[in-house]
Amino acid sequence: MSDLSQRLQDYLRTRLSAPDLVVAGLARIPGGASRETYRFRARYAGRDRGLILRRDPPASLIETERTTEYRAYEAFHGLGLPVPEPIALELSEGPLERPFFIMEEVEDCQTGSIMSPDPFGPHAAKIGQQFFTVMGKIAAADPRDVGLGDFEGEQDIHAVAAHEVARWEKVVEEDEIEPQPIVRAAIRWLKKNPPPPAQKISVVHGDYRTGNFLYDAGGDIRAILDWEMAHLGDPLEDLGWAIDPLWSGGNPLVGGMLPRDEALALWEKASGLKAEPVALHWWEIFASLKGAAIWMSAAREYAEGRNTDPINAFSGWYTLAFHNHVLAQKLGAGS
Amino acid sequence: MSPEIPTILQFSLQRLAGGVGEHGAAFAAGQVGLIGMMMTLSAKEYERGADIRHTENEDMRALFGELAGGVGDAALKARLEEAAGSKDESLRISALNANNYALRRLLTDAQIYAEDHGAQDAQTRIWAVLKALAARRLVSLGP
Repeated sequence: MSDLSQRLQDYLRTRLSAPDLVVAGLARIPGGASRETYRFRARYAGRDRGLILRRDPPASLIETERTTEYRAYEAFHGLGLPVPEPIALELSEGPLERPFFIMEEVEDCQTGSIMSPDPFGPHAAKIGQQFFTVMGKIAAADPRDVGLGDFEGEQDIHAVAAHEVARWEKVVEEDEIEPQPIVRAAIRWLKKNPPPPAQKISVVHGDYRTGNFLYDAGGDIRAILDWEMAHLGDPLEDLGWAIDPLWSGGNPLVGGMLPRDEALALWEKASGLKAEPVALHWWEIFASLKGAAIWMSAAREYAEGRNTDPINAFSGWYTLAFHNHVLAQKLGAGS
Repeated sequence: MSPEIPTILQFSLQRLAGGVGEHGAAFAAGQVGLIGMMMTLSAKEYERGADIRHTENEDMRALFGELAGGVGDAALKARLEEAAGSKDESLRISALNANNYALRRLLTDAQIYAEDHGAQDAQTRIWAVLKALAARRLVSLGP
C-alpha cells in the first residue's frame, strides 16, 4: 500500500467512523491540471464504494477554491441535478499534505473529447438536450435557495460584466509571458462595449462545457464535473462559454451536440431567461478572452516549472493560439 | 510560443525520467501521450518557428511604415518610424522573439492611439495584421 493510500485510509476510517474501512486500487486519473484526481475503492461495513479524491496540486492552473467546488457539489446534488455526491472536505494539510475533497465516483461513464469532431456519435442530440437543459436549471436556481448566496462574485446586475473583465484582466497582467496584442484589444473592446445588465444573478459553473461532464452508454448525462471556478454572476457567462468554438472540435454543432438555435432555445426554456443576441455576443467574446487568460496562466505555470504537467504546455500552444484566432476573427471582422 | 521548445524538452525528459508510472498505468499513459503530442508539435515548430517570427516582424514593420504618416503624436510617430526601419539581424529564435515582443508592444500602442483618435482606416489595417498573425500561429494537430 502506498503512503498516500495508507494516509487516505487512516483519514477515512476516522472521518466516516468506519474502523474496518480499507482503501484499494488508488490510481491517478489523467487530466485535470487544476487538481490531482485519483480513483479508489473504499470497502467498509459490507459496502464497496467507488470514490474520487481531488487534491490540490503544488501549483494549479488557476488558483481555485476547493471549498467553492465542494459547496457547489453539495448544492446541486441536493437539487437533484446530475452532480456527484460529495463525501468529505478537508482543508488542513495534515492528512494528505495538501487540502482535498472526496466525492462519489460516477461509474461506467465517459467524457467527450474536444479533440474529436464527433465526440458523442449517435447520442449527440440527446446529450445536447440534457446539457443545455441542465445548464438552464443551474441558471434558474436562486443562489440563496441552494445555500450559495455568499459565493464569490458580483451581485449587482449592472456591475457583474465589468467585475468579470477585471478578474481576468488581472490574470492576464500577472501571467502574460509574451505580449498579447489580440488579448489586450479584446479587453479594451469588452470595456468599451458593455453588455446590457444581467437579467439576474445566478450561480455560474464557470467551466460548463464538453469534456466536463460524464455520460453513460445510453446517452444520459450522469455527472456535471469541475465546479472549481463556480461563482455568482450573469448566467449568460456559462452559455457563452459552453458555445465557444473551442469545445466543438471543428464540428458546426455547438459543443459537438446541437445546432446553435436549438441549444439556445433549450437553455431559454429551462432557465426562463433570454439569450439576447447583443448580450450573448459580448459574453462570447468574453469567453474567448477568459479562455486565453486561462491558457496564458497554464503556460506560465509550466514555463516557470511550478506545474510541468504537459497539458499546461499544450494549453500555452494550441488553445491559446486557438482563442487568439477566434478573437481576431470576431473583433477584426471586416478588416 | 510560450513555453519555448527547450523548456518543453527539459521538463518532458524530467517527467519521463522521474517516474510518471508511480501513479498507475492510466495516468502514465495519459502523460506519455501528451508528451508525445508536444514532441510532435515541437518538431513542427522547429521547422516553422523562425519563419513565423521573421514574417510577423516584417509585417509589423511594414504596417508601422504605413501608419507613421497619420500619427500626430511625435513620440509615437518616431517610435513607429524607427521600428519600420529596423531589421532582424539574427535568425536565432531568442533574437527574433526579442524583436517580436518589442514590435508587438508597439503594435498595441499604435492600436490604442488609432482607437482613441477614431482612425478607422488604421484600425482596419492593424486588425488585418493581427488576423494574419493569429492565423499563422494556429497549431495543427494533423500530420
